[in-house]
Amino acid sequence: MALNILVVDDSSVMRTIIIKTLKLTDLPLGDIWEAENGEKGLRLLQEKWIDLALIDIHMPVMDGEEMIRHIRENDQYENLPVIVVSSESDPGKIEMVHKQGATFIHKPFKPETLKEVIIAITGVSNEVKD
Amino acid sequence: MKSKIKKVLEEAAVNTFEDICFMYQVPELKDIQKNLTLEAAAEVKYRGDYTGSLLIETRGGLFSAIAANILSIDSPSSPQKRDALGEIANIICGNVVISLGRSKLGYKIESPKYLKKDELLKEKRQGKPLVEITMNFNEGRADIKFFVDGDFVAKEKKG
Repeated sequence: MALNILVVDDSSVMRTIIIKTLKLTDLPLGDIWEAENGEKGLRLLQEKWIDLALIDIHMPVMDGEEMIRHIRENDQYENLPVIVVSSESDPGKIEMVHKQGATFIHKPFKPETLKEVIIAITGVSNEVKD
Repeated sequence: MKSKIKKVLEEAAVNTFEDICFMYQVPELKDIQKNLTLEAAAEVKYRGDYTGSLLIETRGGLFSAIAANILSIDSPSSPQKRDALGEIANIICGNVVISLGRSKLGYKIESPKYLKKDELLKEKRQGKPLVEITMNFNEGRADIKFFVDGDFVAKEKKG
């Protein structure tokens, strides 16, 4: 099953890095959508079929924490797998991420690390079944 | 403590350049790249229990190469080059501030600032970094300096 993925980060360079790393995981990828803040990310969630969201914490307009809170409060996608991608060092913030049912990946990260996390939280596999 | 922070800086910088820019150090270039001209710099400030900044300077074409590698394009634009360098500085800084010790409120890292060459050369505001490293790549050279405001070493000794 190909994953439709939402990438939310205020840095266009970072979004490029994340998407490039996603492609290097060799996982089955469908559509990849980008948003520069949490507000635009939520709009895309309402409009598109998204299987996984990769979200930065620190963004203008609406940050990652608030966006995840909105996600968990919405019946439509409350169980959406979420990965927070950040260089955040504050243990309190990282704990908050876990409490919101998201997984944290620290920048920089290798494709192998990202792949392991995605497989763990989505159950997707790139193995070909006979 | 300083040696520990330097080790963390080295590790963070190596991982960032390898994982994000796909660039690997070539130590043999150290002498050849010694006198390269400064071409660009980005600074990231942080605040928490300590305040300070991380400064990354590039030489020998690395400024363009970072963006080209990250974005997989041949000729990045000036804004793309600045954004890419800023992002590298941001990631490295985020990894290094952890080594300053557990902060009650965590560290806030500000948005990266691109420094114009004359601005950087003119102002001696940076003072002496707590730790600094030089990285040599086929694509050019990076000098990374980590600053902590105040007398960090003395404060750490007091405990």
